[in-house]
Amino acid sequence: MGDKLIQVRNVSKRFPGVLANDRVNLDIERGEIHAIIGENGAGKSTLMNIIYGLYEPTEGEILFEGKPIEIKSPLDAINLGIGMVHQHFMLLPSFTVAENIVLGTEPRRNRIFMDFKEAVLETQQLSETYGLRVDPYRKVGSLSVGIQQRIEILKVLYKGADILILDEPTAVLTPQETEDLFGVIRNLVEDLGKTVIIITHKLQEVLAISHRVSVMRQGKMVGTLNTKDADERVLAEMMVGREVLFEELHKVELPKEEVLSVDGIRARDNRHLMALDGVSFNLRAGEILGIAGVEGNGQTELVEVLTGLRKMEEGTLTIKGVDAFNRTPREIRKLGIAHIPEDRLATGLSREATIWENLLMGVQHMEPYAIWGIHMNKGKIRERTARLIEEFDIRTPTGDILAGSLSGGNMQKMIIAREFSFNTPILIVAQPTRGIDVGAIEFVHKQIVEKRNAGTAILLVSADLDEIFRLSDRILTLYEGRITGEFLSGEISKREIGLYMTGKHMDSIERGGAYEQ
Amino acid sequence: MNSRFSSEDLEYIVSLTLSIAVSLIMGALIMIANGRSPMVGYGALIRGAFGGKYSIANTLAKTVPLALTGLATAISFRSGIFNIGGEGQLYLGAFAAAYVGITFTALPKGLGMLLAILAGALVGGLYAYVPGFLKVKYKIDEVITTIMLNTVAVLFTSYLVNYPFAPAAGKLNATEIISEQFHLSRLIRLSTLNTSIFFMGFIALFMYYLMEKTSAGYDFKLVGQNSLFARFGGIDDRKQMLIAMVISGSLCGLAGVFEVLGVHYRFLQHISPGYAWDGMLVALIVKNNPIGVMIMSIFFGALKTGSIAMENATSIPSELVLVIQSIIILFIAGERGFKDKFKEWNLRRRVGQKAGERNA
Repeated sequence: MGDKLIQVRNVSKRFPGVLANDRVNLDIERGEIHAIIGENGAGKSTLMNIIYGLYEPTEGEILFEGKPIEIKSPLDAINLGIGMVHQHFMLLPSFTVAENIVLGTEPRRNRIFMDFKEAVLETQQLSETYGLRVDPYRKVGSLSVGIQQRIEILKVLYKGADILILDEPTAVLTPQETEDLFGVIRNLVEDLGKTVIIITHKLQEVLAISHRVSVMRQGKMVGTLNTKDADERVLAEMMVGREVLFEELHKVELPKEEVLSVDGIRARDNRHLMALDGVSFNLRAGEILGIAGVEGNGQTELVEVLTGLRKMEEGTLTIKGVDAFNRTPREIRKLGIAHIPEDRLATGLSREATIWENLLMGVQHMEPYAIWGIHMNKGKIRERTARLIEEFDIRTPTGDILAGSLSGGNMQKMIIAREFSFNTPILIVAQPTRGIDVGAIEFVHKQIVEKRNAGTAILLVSADLDEIFRLSDRILTLYEGRITGEFLSGEISKREIGLYMTGKHMDSIERGGAYEQ
Repeated sequence: MNSRFSSEDLEYIVSLTLSIAVSLIMGALIMIANGRSPMVGYGALIRGAFGGKYSIANTLAKTVPLALTGLATAISFRSGIFNIGGEGQLYLGAFAAAYVGITFTALPKGLGMLLAILAGALVGGLYAYVPGFLKVKYKIDEVITTIMLNTVAVLFTSYLVNYPFAPAAGKLNATEIISEQFHLSRLIRLSTLNTSIFFMGFIALFMYYLMEKTSAGYDFKLVGQNSLFARFGGIDDRKQMLIAMVISGSLCGLAGVFEVLGVHYRFLQHISPGYAWDGMLVALIVKNNPIGVMIMSIFFGALKTGSIAMENATSIPSELVLVIQSIIILFIAGERGFKDKFKEWNLRRRVGQKAGERNA
């Protein structure tokens, strides 16, 4: 550590209508883990893309080892030893791990054919050197997100990177996978002398992993701190420019009438493997039931079954006393379920449609928004759009712009605005704050608790244990498609629940013989 | 919602106008390279398309099948199901109309006409229903099935006109003439323009209303943009796609019907010179916008009519128009890239200026 490897000097980047970076300064020192934090749209990714050569700065200069340089393309960056792992992975799912890693600089036989054996060999060497275990022969599409990320990192290392830029690497990871990743990062920096820049907006992670942290807000660099001098509150304030966070959420107790019950559900995932293996629980009005679990243990399938997007093979689903076995999403919605989906881009909205069109989904055939269910009543639709934008603090000049141009947090607010506006007795909320910034998280959490206090039954599925603990009245743990535990809020610690989420409690319980199915 | 056009729409209209202008300039350069005067060439083309009642009538006559197949493409593409089988649906629709016109000669005029039109729409729609059903039920790629069904329809009708329905006089590669009361009246002497233009106008209005103003139109569009989101939101995306496919097929069938009832008065073995393909281009150029389809159909109709007049008057080959059409398509295909490059350039220029101001 010590000498300045990369110096960003007064760099600005202007996009049509937006100043994404406004005279930003940043020093990256050799051998450090440097965290860059900021809300969505603060300009973190833009800055990193400039360093990686994907964007050219509109103004300013970059110094590498003290000398001014121009990074015109990722190729230049790679030649300087800068590598980047993007938030959205750039892997070919139908190729093997080895093929993905060597892609672009494949070892050749006779200059024409790819040397697959050599690629496998190099992959194995690479994975040994860096202690990142992967199976070179596996198809990437069949691997978990955590492993795919590992492959992305190997890919970058294979190209000879000394400086790794990781763009929101933990956004898609489970707590366990995040711990693994941090182990890998520490190993890279401490034992192998690499430099790591990590973009995130999770404050605990910054404190856990980084040496120094730089905070960005609205395109500007607010400042750089030594991590040991920082705490969550300081960072949060720097990020949002005002005091937020950690406010106690006020909950009212209500009579709890059962509105949804699930009994012995079995369903298969997309690969036709049993993803839900006899899940039973019930959900009552005025409570938040949290489903905790490592991702890929059936949460996705559970939500899909409950909302009619996936067929179940066995079991019963009763919504407000009505049998809802394998109904269509439309029928389920009519029975009184609204749904905030886990993958908001794929399921929750259409990026090519305007905000008002996205907000209209679900009521487009209803009075007064459709006259006789046919003619769209633009006046009423406009009123409703304006009301929801206002009420849910969606940051946009008008409802006429495309949803795809909103930031992640505002997209999520738009989806929440729509689903909450139906005032259904039941809400299914999956990963509500994944990848959105602190300010928006606070807003979303408040909205969810308000709904609960108004008597809505809420099923919360989240990979973020902090979120589960903060919001839930009752927590279920899901492991390999089965419910492994049920706890009231405050009854169990995060540490203990981790055992239930990974199925490890089974051994101890089986030994004691106390566990009953 | 407040303004008629969003900024994206406006940008697209500008790009499209520029593309057309550049392709016309390219056409001019080709004429010059061949030692012809573009003024003379384009003059003859414009006169041929719009100079006088007869020319305008011919342009409008060409517009009818283009607009119908263009709207057919627009509704299906917008709904995320790709009907490339318009040509086959057109042939079967045309034959169905001819069959009615030959067989039910005793029917009164209005009723007979209605029957012929309905038969054509129904047959076209059914022929599109099959690949649509295979798509939504068994995920069989509709692009491939509809393309292949084109050949099936063209060859099947060609068998019909040469064997079971060959006229008594011998094989003419055509059916008998349909009975008198099925003929749509011609509007301008010597031109094939007929009352089908009014049917087309009515259909175009209906399609515009359906696609842009109704909740069902919203459903079509959202299914096309993100079918998973549509399903999640309570739209039956498969049903919606199937409906779009059937509407699309019916419109192509109608394009065939009007060729028989209004233009040829019989079914011909080669009744369409690729109207459905041209219609598809029209829809692609205007990104499946129904108003755009109407304007672009008239433009393409004018190019077709004008090019023949141009060839007659100046001996510049009418194929030049194909070159112009292709260049438009090429530019439109690259529209996004060109636009981004231009914006970036513009931005850099402006930033450069500002930096200059500060220094001075």
